[in-house]
Amino acid sequence: MSTSASSASGERDFILALDAGGTMTDAILVKPDGTFTVGKSISRREQPEISYRESVADAAQMLGLDSSDVHRRCAADIYTGTGMLNSVLTGEGRKVGLLVTRGFEDISLMEGGLTYLGQSQAEGLHQQLHRHTRPLVEPRNVLGVSERMGGGCYQGNVHLPAGHTLIPVNEAQVRRHVETLLDRGCEVIGILFLYSFVDARHEHQARDIAQQVVAARGLDVPVVCSADVAPVAKENNRLKSLLFQCFAAEQVRESLLGVEREAHGLGFSGRLLTLLSYGGAVNMEYPRLYETMISGPIGGLIGAQFVAGELGLDNVVTADMGGTSFDVGLIVEGRIGIAKSADIAGHRLALPMVELDSAGNGAGSVVWVDEYKRLHVGPESAGAKVGICHEYDRLTVTDINVALGYVDPDYFLGGHIKLDRERALAALKEAVADPLGLDVYEAGAGVLGIINAEMNDLLRTMVAAKGYDTHDFTLLYYGGAGPVHMYGFAEGIPFKDVITLPWAAGFSAFGAACAEYMHRYDRGLRVLIPHGAGDAEMTATAREIDTAWRELEAEARAEMQAEGIDPDRIRFRYGVSARYIGQIESFDTALPTGEMRGPDDIRAMIDAFETMYSKVYPEGAKFSGAGYSLTEVNLEAIAPKPQPVLARHELAGEEPAPDAFVGTREVFHKDRWLPFTVYEMAELQPGNVVHGPAIIRDPMTTVVIPPGHEMALDALRILHYRAAPATQ
Amino acid sequence: MATIAREVVDKQRQLKPPTLKAMIAERDRLTAETGHYCGVTELTLRDSDPIKYERFYAKLHAAVLAARESARFVAASPGSREMGECLWGIATPEGDTLAVSLGFLSHTVIFPTSIRYMADNDYDVNDGIEDGDVFAVSDGLTGGVPHPGDFYSFVPICVDGEVVAWAIGINHLMENGAPVAGSWATFSVDTFMDGLVCPPMRTGRKLKQESWWRAIWERRTRAATMNILDDKMRLAGCAMIHAATHALIEEFGMDYYKRAIREVIEESRRMVVDNMRSTLVPGTYNGCAFRLVKYKGLQNVWSHADKNTLIHVRGSLEPNENGVLLDAEGSSKWGYHSYNATPGGVDCAVFLGMINSFSHNTKVTAGIDLAVQRNYPRGSIYNPDNEYTSNANLWAQTVALNSLCFGAVSRAMFSRGYLEEAFTVDGNWGAFQGAGTTADGTNYGFTNFEWLGGTGRGAWCYKDGEPLVWAAWSQMATIGDAEEFESTVPPLFYLGRKLLPGYFGYGKYRGGPGNSAVHWCVEPGRHVALTRPNGGLSCTPSVGIGMSGAYPGPGSFMISARGTNLDKLIEQGETPRDARELLEMIDDEKLAVKKLEVWKTDCPELALKDNDLFVDAAGSSGGWGDPLDRDPAAVVADLNDGMCPNYAFVSDMHGVIATQDADGNWVLDAAATDARREALRAARLAESVPVADWWQEERPRVVAQDFVPEVREMYAQSLTFDKFQREFAGFWQLPGDFAFAEESSDE
Repeated sequence: MSTSASSASGERDFILALDAGGTMTDAILVKPDGTFTVGKSISRREQPEISYRESVADAAQMLGLDSSDVHRRCAADIYTGTGMLNSVLTGEGRKVGLLVTRGFEDISLMEGGLTYLGQSQAEGLHQQLHRHTRPLVEPRNVLGVSERMGGGCYQGNVHLPAGHTLIPVNEAQVRRHVETLLDRGCEVIGILFLYSFVDARHEHQARDIAQQVVAARGLDVPVVCSADVAPVAKENNRLKSLLFQCFAAEQVRESLLGVEREAHGLGFSGRLLTLLSYGGAVNMEYPRLYETMISGPIGGLIGAQFVAGELGLDNVVTADMGGTSFDVGLIVEGRIGIAKSADIAGHRLALPMVELDSAGNGAGSVVWVDEYKRLHVGPESAGAKVGICHEYDRLTVTDINVALGYVDPDYFLGGHIKLDRERALAALKEAVADPLGLDVYEAGAGVLGIINAEMNDLLRTMVAAKGYDTHDFTLLYYGGAGPVHMYGFAEGIPFKDVITLPWAAGFSAFGAACAEYMHRYDRGLRVLIPHGAGDAEMTATAREIDTAWRELEAEARAEMQAEGIDPDRIRFRYGVSARYIGQIESFDTALPTGEMRGPDDIRAMIDAFETMYSKVYPEGAKFSGAGYSLTEVNLEAIAPKPQPVLARHELAGEEPAPDAFVGTREVFHKDRWLPFTVYEMAELQPGNVVHGPAIIRDPMTTVVIPPGHEMALDALRILHYRAAPATQ
Repeated sequence: MATIAREVVDKQRQLKPPTLKAMIAERDRLTAETGHYCGVTELTLRDSDPIKYERFYAKLHAAVLAARESARFVAASPGSREMGECLWGIATPEGDTLAVSLGFLSHTVIFPTSIRYMADNDYDVNDGIEDGDVFAVSDGLTGGVPHPGDFYSFVPICVDGEVVAWAIGINHLMENGAPVAGSWATFSVDTFMDGLVCPPMRTGRKLKQESWWRAIWERRTRAATMNILDDKMRLAGCAMIHAATHALIEEFGMDYYKRAIREVIEESRRMVVDNMRSTLVPGTYNGCAFRLVKYKGLQNVWSHADKNTLIHVRGSLEPNENGVLLDAEGSSKWGYHSYNATPGGVDCAVFLGMINSFSHNTKVTAGIDLAVQRNYPRGSIYNPDNEYTSNANLWAQTVALNSLCFGAVSRAMFSRGYLEEAFTVDGNWGAFQGAGTTADGTNYGFTNFEWLGGTGRGAWCYKDGEPLVWAAWSQMATIGDAEEFESTVPPLFYLGRKLLPGYFGYGKYRGGPGNSAVHWCVEPGRHVALTRPNGGLSCTPSVGIGMSGAYPGPGSFMISARGTNLDKLIEQGETPRDARELLEMIDDEKLAVKKLEVWKTDCPELALKDNDLFVDAAGSSGGWGDPLDRDPAAVVADLNDGMCPNYAFVSDMHGVIATQDADGNWVLDAAATDARREALRAARLAESVPVADWWQEERPRVVAQDFVPEVREMYAQSLTFDKFQREFAGFWQLPGDFAFAEESSDE
């Protein structure tokens, strides 16, 4: 047990990041020099605080420290988990009562008809098998309230204005229904009225009445309005956001606060943070906690954003290849791309979420050939069972990498797990080579060729479909299998640079440690800027946007202050969602300032929209003559938070030290056997250059450098992949 | 010298790209001679290097998937953005589908029609087809388009002056400029009343529309902004496919590309045929449906269209060695109404079931087109021998033909033992459309697609159907959001959007319930009026009979309640939420209505004033099995959760006896139920007559042609087709030359 000098000095220079998965709780302990250690423990669903404690202790003992040492020296502690997702998947959540606009009582059963979410085209086509997801509220506990608010119309100000009360809230019905829901034992009450994103008056009126009824009974039953959870258009998506918040978020909040108490008990003096699905960290008091539902893929992008900032890179495309999928994300001009809705467990939510394109190509993906000799990869995955070379019963991508020599069967997880290469080889022959009539190694190389090409296509199209040029982007790859396949998925794409870090396998967790403390606010609007709008019209519009931003800023300050943030240290980023009048979809447009005072500011905003739109769509898709519609203003509020640092080192020579040399290994690469030189990652020094064909091995991953290429470590120990000079 | 010169000339001739006409002729010849697509008897590329081959196709497929996922965000119409009412594809130079995106997939089978028309009319010769040109198509006859509400964009992909592929984008417009506003002209006498009908015509070059094209949208449709944006959406997707295909050819080489596109189609043809052979029991699966067209008295301008028509929809499916034969012989002749189809249009309908059933585990290509032989007799409603017929509202009857054919597949799979594939197929869609002018003079047109977006799915042979999980036309059930649809029609506001209790086919297993919405008119301005096209209206019933003794899904209907006391109900907080509740409120005298109309057939244009209500119901689906075999506990559960709210009706239907406890919950009386069921079965037997007796009793009516005029005319038309004449005369034991006198229904 260590009591280090640093601890005694009172320095707070460690950062903790934990990911509580379904099986394991991983802890990343980032040291002051930016490097990290990893701890693991079994996830205990009912007692997450114990898993938390054990996982941190496991990471700490690698440094000769104990959990208290780490917590006392901890500057930031980020915790993500799957508690909320589990709650939705298992149906174990709060008993929800729901008040909706009269006539919409079946909305949770109908769910817009969306029964194909997350399906491939083949699954979608087989429509006979489509099913509804299990509702998160009992149908009988959805009660209608007579009220109607108008939302305005696409044609502009030609009819009743947005926010016009058509039918006032029937207060007696609200009271009666709330009494009924409480009689039925509902533990939380949600309210969803049409067009509440335009004006929340009706929902708030009903909420106040409901709260009175709850208070009169002396109960602690939260009342949640859709306008406060997701104030954006489309009632079906808003409903799902509301239900996730009501059904799952509040009970998970209690669990998370329990973890925070554990951290405090171990000496941590700050607030435990968790990650938002669109990036950024918040503490457990955050009112819209359902926004932290999906935080797994976010870490890598946040990490990439951090690395981009450290290296001064504007544009980065990330490639994360793990066990089950290959995920591609974009950082453009320093900002992470955000999608306006999220599909989670068969539900579509009005939840901003980092935009990722995925292919079902992970290291654990099953490889098989059907009766028509068609090759398939996935969607099944071996997960922790790795492949037939370990504990799984079907051929996986990792099996092929082992069979062909890319992955060392004796050094998986640093040699803790021994893989069976012969079994992998036999399975490759039986499952692929024989059905296709190919040599076993050629078959393996062919499969890897297809997988790599699919990922290569995804990378290209992710960038091209957004209207960008890969020449302007740096590829940052990570995940346990990212460095194994990079040579293939990056092949032939003219990136500015191709980089990874020694801790690529744990990069997502590292990224969680890099998160900013951030809230995002979206406010629905119905503002039209017709073609040829005059200065007076534009000035009025500018005022409306300006007012919305100022209100959101005030809301952000109040919320973050309640979370313990100094309001004076909050900074803001501004944006709008806009479209041509008539379009259904709005497009997020980032703006450099939050100043919106007059016609010039509106014109600058329109220019920003057109620039953004022109990058995505061809010239023929523009329609400036239609005028513009603003549907949302958005605001990101950021507060300072301790960050890891990338330590800078002295450069050694290009030649790796003899200690770094492990040996040589024969690898069947593409169409032939080649001797690959093997190096040990930990022994490589900044400034070293490794020439292909070579492999850099690490307990957590394998970096493959093909012939004609090399890998250079810079002063930050970032690995740069490039063509070897002789072949340039 | 002369010899050399001739060789040079020959070489130049060879270098000149083949015309589209020549390419199509060659494809047809090779396919006919060999029975394999384009004469591809061996899949040499696939077999020699399957990995490269799959990589090639993955790239092709990725291009169209990416096009849809990116381009649909340009759209204006909720149907395209929110629902499945759009599609992108890539096709061979002859128009044969290579890959398609998600969306309304069956349109893929009609791509070749436009290309053949352009080829036959020398578009590529005079004045040529160039890379990146843009062609618009919405004509049924020359483009195969089901109805002009669907609009196509074709973009040729050319290399060295040769057309090597087509990028194609399609979507359903919000409004297409017919006399009847909306996107399905419910009243249309001929094609000249169908709205904006375009035979294949070049509207743009270099992936950009020409300026005049915008004027067409603005002057010839009532929702120009939305239509222009949808046009841009289609083109944006095509541009992406165009770029991806050029890159693909560059990567794989032209020789590989040209061979691979043939193999891809032949390979999927074989797989589809395999699927058909392995899942269907051979035989002939017949079905029929009827669709009433009520035009009589609607107008007095076009005297030849002033009549009612009963459309006879007949479809049979016969599995055979080469796939299946779909035969629509015996269906009615075409008429002076908007319910006609062209072969392309009816293909688009019947392939809904074919693709869904046989392509889901294959590459979706023209392979299925080759595996399904069709017979649409010349002169019939599916292949008019008049080039001016209207097809604006064909979906209102062709969807019944699809249900027949899809249902035949279901029956054939059930017979083979594929129970999980067998269910009661229906397609009872609805929509409403119209136009208006606000108080300040702003004109607008609209279509609300919501009940086209999703319907209930019929019962399975082992469980109940589900609500809103079925969209035969897109595979993507999505009704969109009320907040989006409401924004498109200024004076109409939702008072309800629900499932309609009891609105399904009853049986041992019941169908998924249909839907109902209540639209409230507030401050209509100068004018607002609507009509309602749909596929379940007065189509009785879509599939003729239920499955295994169950009831089919009830037809759709609508209610116009004009001149109401809605203000009073608003004060009480008791506005009607669905069609059932509206009628009950009227019966209970809570809702006063000066002019109440329940439309079980098409309605004329309905003009609405303040506080008028328009209520619709659609999307029901049929049951499976005898209602008397339904588990009594399931009947009671439906009573208690409101799915079947009328006890007396349910008790009669299922023979279930239940009582209400102090809390109002229904409790089963098992003994009384057994007795009631026994009594009902006995009553059935008592009421039944032997088929022979029934035949004897009916035959004189047939001989005397003792039917109402619409039925007489229907039989007269169907009997002009040999197959139906044989079946009909044979069944009723009539003379071989028996025929009905053809007469007008207005006599």
